[in-house]
Amino acid sequence: MAEDFDNVNIEDLEAKDTARKIPLGWLILFWGLILWGIYYLAMYSPVISGWTQEKAYEESVTK
Amino acid sequence: MHDYQYDHQTVKGFIVSSIFWGVVGIVVGLWISIQMWKPELNIPPYFTFGRMRVVHTNGLAIGLGIGAIFGISYYIVMRLARRPLLFPKLARFHLYLFNAAVALAALSLFAGMNQTLEYAELEWPLDIGVVILWVMFAVNVFGTIIKRKEEQMYISLWYIIATVIAVAILYIVNNLAVPAGMTKSYPVFAGVNSANVQWWYGHNAVGFIFTTPILAMFYYFLPKSTGLPIYSHRLSIVAFWSLVFAYLWTGAHHLVYTPLPDWIQTLAIVFTLFLIAPSWGSVVNGYYTVGSDWSKMQTNYLTKFFIMGITFYGLQTVQGPTQAIRVVSQLIHYTDWVPGHVHMGTMGWVTMTTAASIYHIIPKIYNTEIYSIKVANTHFWLVLIGQLMFSITMWITGIQQGALWKATNADGSLKYTFMEGLAKNYPFWQLRTVAGVIFTVGMLFFIYNIYMTIRKGRALAASQA
Amino acid sequence: MAGELYRKPIMFAIVATVVILVGTIVTMFYPMFTEGMHPKLDNLKPYTALQLAGKDIYMREGCNNCHTQTVRPLKTEVMRYGEYSKAGEFAYDRPFLWGSKRTGPDLARIGGKYPDAWHYQHFENPQAFFAQSNMPKYGWLKDRKLDPAVSESHMKVNGFPYTAEDIGGLAAKSELDALVAYMQVIGTAVAKKVAPAAAAAAEERNPLEGDERAHERGEVVYKQYCDACHGDDGKGGIGPSLTDTTWLNKEGDIGDGRIYEIIANGTPNGMPPYANQLDKDKIWSLVSYIRHEQHKNK
Repeated sequence: MAEDFDNVNIEDLEAKDTARKIPLGWLILFWGLILWGIYYLAMYSPVISGWTQEKAYEESVTK
Repeated sequence: MHDYQYDHQTVKGFIVSSIFWGVVGIVVGLWISIQMWKPELNIPPYFTFGRMRVVHTNGLAIGLGIGAIFGISYYIVMRLARRPLLFPKLARFHLYLFNAAVALAALSLFAGMNQTLEYAELEWPLDIGVVILWVMFAVNVFGTIIKRKEEQMYISLWYIIATVIAVAILYIVNNLAVPAGMTKSYPVFAGVNSANVQWWYGHNAVGFIFTTPILAMFYYFLPKSTGLPIYSHRLSIVAFWSLVFAYLWTGAHHLVYTPLPDWIQTLAIVFTLFLIAPSWGSVVNGYYTVGSDWSKMQTNYLTKFFIMGITFYGLQTVQGPTQAIRVVSQLIHYTDWVPGHVHMGTMGWVTMTTAASIYHIIPKIYNTEIYSIKVANTHFWLVLIGQLMFSITMWITGIQQGALWKATNADGSLKYTFMEGLAKNYPFWQLRTVAGVIFTVGMLFFIYNIYMTIRKGRALAASQA
Repeated sequence: MAGELYRKPIMFAIVATVVILVGTIVTMFYPMFTEGMHPKLDNLKPYTALQLAGKDIYMREGCNNCHTQTVRPLKTEVMRYGEYSKAGEFAYDRPFLWGSKRTGPDLARIGGKYPDAWHYQHFENPQAFFAQSNMPKYGWLKDRKLDPAVSESHMKVNGFPYTAEDIGGLAAKSELDALVAYMQVIGTAVAKKVAPAAAAAAEERNPLEGDERAHERGEVVYKQYCDACHGDDGKGGIGPSLTDTTWLNKEGDIGDGRIYEIIANGTPNGMPPYANQLDKDKIWSLVSYIRHEQHKNK
């Protein structure tokens, strides 16, 4: 069979000249999400902010 | 010439089997979509919505999804290892056992043997079967990779290795149960704890069945079929490790506002949002790869399958995290929005990418060309239209349901009864069936194309013999 | 150095396993050893043999595909279904049955909401109660008998207490009996929240009195909410007749304000409260309609 298995060279699958480039937009997204995560964790963790879903419910019905 | 041959028969066997089970799963899916607006189509005891929905999800996740993953992973592993499978006979037996297990799974679910753990419905004897299947797969994948003839392991192999490990851990832990007869068992976990274990499993089944192995296909077949190399190796590395790290934290986003402790919910939401980054790492890598020559979108018919597939992956991985945020979850959780979301992933990303991989593999195996690019293009547009129509109608009806459930009158009483809200879904549920039919017709074009290509290949082989 | 990892599959697999296990341990494994994951309300009771058989049927038929069993702590959700779910209610559920989709309504507070007869008739023909319902019919369950031996083995695996009588009694029961028994126990470990008596109940007289059209408006509401149980024209069915002068099992008519209060707050023996679904005008129009039908019958 004249299958083309021999031309599976990793060099053909991955670029050489751009191999180390990470687009800036993606890096901003990556670190931005980590920062947002720290904020959200602080806001909604009972041991940090005291927020609990029960308290939020009680507030919503007494309003 | 070479002194060895790849085991094409097993690869092809898995692909054909997965297409067969795919047809079964899709037909059941159409049927239950009609049951939603025409309850007379429930025929007890075997053909009621409650039993058939799990045949639909398992048939497509295990039959079509895992079947294709087994076959295509073998194909990729052999080529990236530059050698045949280490245990070709085991792989063949793996194929037979797979088909027997899926057939028994479908029958047992029709019979109502259901653990009621979502995507882990199969009862314990079949769970053991699934674990055996997985071990057989793992032995061949690891064995072949260890004995490989190419030093470097390419990205696709990372994703396949992660899949093998993660699914094994997830499946075994979530199915731990005490048998009560041959067809019934009770899980070892109870109540809130059982919910936490189940959704740790449930969400990661999505992560390691519908994401990582499909990414392995994407990273292999995109450069293979376009001739364009993947843009950034470093981005691939960062995206891979952050994806497999973050995924396991996220299951509890299925349990927002349930009695599960708040801190587990919050952690899950945070990591779910973070997952946008690694997911988009692959999306960006894919776009930049084809971005070096966008004309491939026109000159190479498979490029648009991969680019559309990764686009839906990108949309899916933004929409999913958005749904996890508490304020959004309040509105759309438990509504039809969620099936709309799921089907964008399965019909858009998974099926699109898997079908394109199969379009690449089958002609290669038979040393011929695809039967018809025209038919493939028709397939592409029909599944695209069907899937978009499906998802969009479900998003609209989901938002409507959520809004009606929380609507109140001026004096504070609820504005709509549950039934008033349900009645408003009917036109959307009917449209969804139409969308499903369009998608199914698209898949029939795909199957016809593959069938004709195999026929052509066989005729060619016979004439050369 | 880092590049080496991608040449060593065993090392790579070990590193990947560790990375996968971090989130697994923190969010799934560690919590198992905390008390928050194993709470139990004081008045939560293990399932009886009949209830467990019903729960098994609920699972077999995949009811969880369309019904959730968890009320979220959200204002309108508590109004619609009742008190939000507590972690300690589910200690005997292996597995949990919270579900993920509400094609039908949540069932976390279904126990005791309707009389048994309502459930039997509704399972047989949901469309007789709600013409637009898409729920399948489950009347066929009444032709299937329970198997006491199977039930006993299930009770053993769960470690629930039972007597020989409990098990023996199952032989005469159908699967539908079991399912109804299960329906009636769901969510009953939490005390029903007593709805605050509607403010208007104090008004003895119907403010719509003299409004000639009020009973016609009331009839529309009646057909939507009431006739499944109280029958056409209020003649009675699962619920009592509304056109005679017997109220709450006692002879003698009652005031408009009292009828309003029953509709708004329900009764302990099977009438669900409607204050959260019907505004004042609708409830008073129902009172007008009931009076109109009573008058016709005299």
